[in-house]
Amino acid sequence: MNWRIILFGLLIVAQVAVPLRMIQHHETVLREGELFRFKTEPIDPVDPFQGRYVWLRIKDDFVPMSEAAADAIDYKTTGYALLNLDEQGFAKFSDWSSERPTQTTNYLKTKSRGQAVNWEQLADGTRTRVHKGLGIDISFTRFYMDEAKAPRAERLAREATRNEDCWVEVRIFNGKAVIEDVIAEGQSLRDLASIEE
Amino acid sequence: MRKIPEKYRQWLLQELPILEDTGILSAESRQPLEDYYSNQVESRAHWAAIACAVLGTLLIGGGIILLFAHNWENLSRIARTGLSFCPLAIGVALSALAICRGGTGLCETAGIFHSLAVGACIALIGQTYHLPSNTPDFLLVWALLILPLIFMLPSTGAYLFYITLICSWSGAAQNEYGQALGFWLLLIPAVVHVIRLIRHEAPSELLSLWGLMLMLPIALGIVLERTVPGLWIVGYASFLSLSGLLGLRLFPTKSGWRNPLQTVGVAGITVLAYIFTWQNVWHDIGWSNTRHYGNYQEWGIWCDSVITLGLALAWALTAVKARQRNSLPTLILCSFPLLASAGFFFAASSGGELINALLFNAYMLGLGLAYLTQGCRNTQLRQVNYGMAVLGLLLITRFFDSDFGFLARGLAFILMGSCFLVTNLIMARKKHQLGGAQS
Repeated sequence: MNWRIILFGLLIVAQVAVPLRMIQHHETVLREGELFRFKTEPIDPVDPFQGRYVWLRIKDDFVPMSEAAADAIDYKTTGYALLNLDEQGFAKFSDWSSERPTQTTNYLKTKSRGQAVNWEQLADGTRTRVHKGLGIDISFTRFYMDEAKAPRAERLAREATRNEDCWVEVRIFNGKAVIEDVIAEGQSLRDLASIEE
Repeated sequence: MRKIPEKYRQWLLQELPILEDTGILSAESRQPLEDYYSNQVESRAHWAAIACAVLGTLLIGGGIILLFAHNWENLSRIARTGLSFCPLAIGVALSALAICRGGTGLCETAGIFHSLAVGACIALIGQTYHLPSNTPDFLLVWALLILPLIFMLPSTGAYLFYITLICSWSGAAQNEYGQALGFWLLLIPAVVHVIRLIRHEAPSELLSLWGLMLMLPIALGIVLERTVPGLWIVGYASFLSLSGLLGLRLFPTKSGWRNPLQTVGVAGITVLAYIFTWQNVWHDIGWSNTRHYGNYQEWGIWCDSVITLGLALAWALTAVKARQRNSLPTLILCSFPLLASAGFFFAASSGGELINALLFNAYMLGLGLAYLTQGCRNTQLRQVNYGMAVLGLLLITRFFDSDFGFLARGLAFILMGSCFLVTNLIMARKKHQLGGAQS
C-alpha cells in the first residue's frame, strides 16, 4: 500500500506541476515582456475543450529576405524571428536567426514555413507572384472569448480590419509570446462586443 | 479470490438444504460447500451499476469541461486559473478514495473523471492565457499524466483514455512533426497492462483487448512513413495474421466477440484480401518508387522496413508454432502474409498488377468457398454466413468492376455458375444413390 501512496503523491505533484509551470511561464511573459501590436484579421472558430475563440490571422507573418535565402532554410526549422517597429508603431519581423539572440529579448521563437508569397493582380487582369520573404509559424493566433460574444466580436473586428483598425497586443519576452488584448476601432474587442448587447 | 455472480451464489445456497434432504449430499459434505460459497467467494461486480457509474462520470466530466469552455469573462485571470484546478482536485480526491477503498465501480469512476480532469485543467489554462493549439504536445502531456492511473487504481476507463490519446497523438504528431515513432514507446505500458490482465484472467481483459485491437490497426497506418509505397501490404498482412494466430493460441476455446485477437485478425485479412483484388493497389509500388518529397522522410525506408520486418518475424515465429493446428483459420492466417509478400515483391519487380489482382480474386473466392463448405459440413451457421458474405461481396463487386472487360466478366460468371450447378448435380446424385442403397 505504501508504494502506491508514494507513487500517487508523485503523480499528483506532476499533475499539478505541469499546469503551474504553464501559468508561471506565461505570467512571466505578461509581467516582463515588451508590448507589440500586430495587424490582424480575425475569424471565429470553436475548440471543444477550450471554447469559442477568435482566430487571429497575423498580416505580416514573414521575415523579409531574398528568395534564395528563404529556400536555404529547411521547412519547419526552429529559429528566432527578430522584431522591429514600423513608422506607425506596428510590429514587423525584421530578421531571422538560427541562434538564440543575446543582445535583445524582442524576438519570437518559431519555425520556418517556406517561402511567403503574395499573388498581386496586374492592370491587365493577370496575377503575378511576388516573393515576400520567409513564412513563419505564429504562436499567438487564438483569443478566447465568451461563447455569446465571440461571433459578434468576429464580425465587428472584421469591419475594423477593412479600415486597417484592428490589431492584437502581444507581450513578448525571450522568444515567448502571450496575447494581452485584441483592439478593434480603438477599444478592446471584449468591450466592443459587450456594447452592442 | 474467485468471483461468481451473486444470483448463482444465492441459488446454490438455497439448493444445498434441498440436496441434503433428498439424500444427494450428506451433512458433512454440505457444510464445507456452504462455508466456501458463503465466505470464500466474493460476489462479482454488478456490471450494470458500473456502466451507470462510468456513464454518469463521463457526462459530469464532459459537462464540467463544457461549462468552463463557455469562458466566464467576468472572472479575473487569477480566479479562472484557480477554477481550472477544481476538476483536478476532485479527480485526485476520487482517486485517493478509490485507492483506499477499492471496488471496480469506484476505481472506474475515479479513473475516468481524473483522466478527463487532467485534460480539462491543461486546456483551461490554455484558454486563460490564449495559448495557441499545439495538439501533439497537449495530447502527449495528457497521456503521460494519466498513464500511472491505469496501474495504480487500476482503471480500464483510464486505460481506454490512454490508448485513444496515444493514437490521436500519433496522428497529430505525424501531421505536425512528420513522424510519430514515439508511439511505439507509448504503446509499451498499454501492452504491459493487457498482458497483466490476460495472465490474471481479469474481468476487464476483454474490453481492454478490444480497445487495443481496434486502436492498433489505425495507429499502424498512421505511424508507417509510407516512404516505400506498398510496404504496408506486407506490414498489415503480417500484423493481422499475427493477431489472429495469437488469438487462436491464447484463447483456443473462444471465438467471435469473446476473442478480439482472432476476430480482428480474420476480419482484417478478409478486408485486406478484398482491397488486394483491385489492380490500382499494386500500381507503382516497391523500392523503385521510393518517395523523397513533401512530408515523406528519407529515413522512412529504414523505419518502415524495420517495423515490417519485425511484424513479419513475429508472425513467422507464431505461425511455426501454430502449424500443427490443422484448422481453416490457421491455414488462412499462415498463408495470407506469404501470398501478400509474394504479391508485393512481384508487383515491385515486374509490375504484375493484373496477375496480383486475379490471384487475390481467386484467394477471396477460395476463402469464401472454404468457409461455406466448412460451415455446411459442421452445420455452423456463423461460418456459412461468413462464407456467403465474402462470396457475395466479391461477386457483386466484380459484376460492376469496369477494370475487367464485359466478355471476360461474362465468361467468368457463366463458368463459375456452371461449376456450382455441376457440383450441386453431383451432390444430389450421390445423395440419391446413397438413399437408394440404404432403402
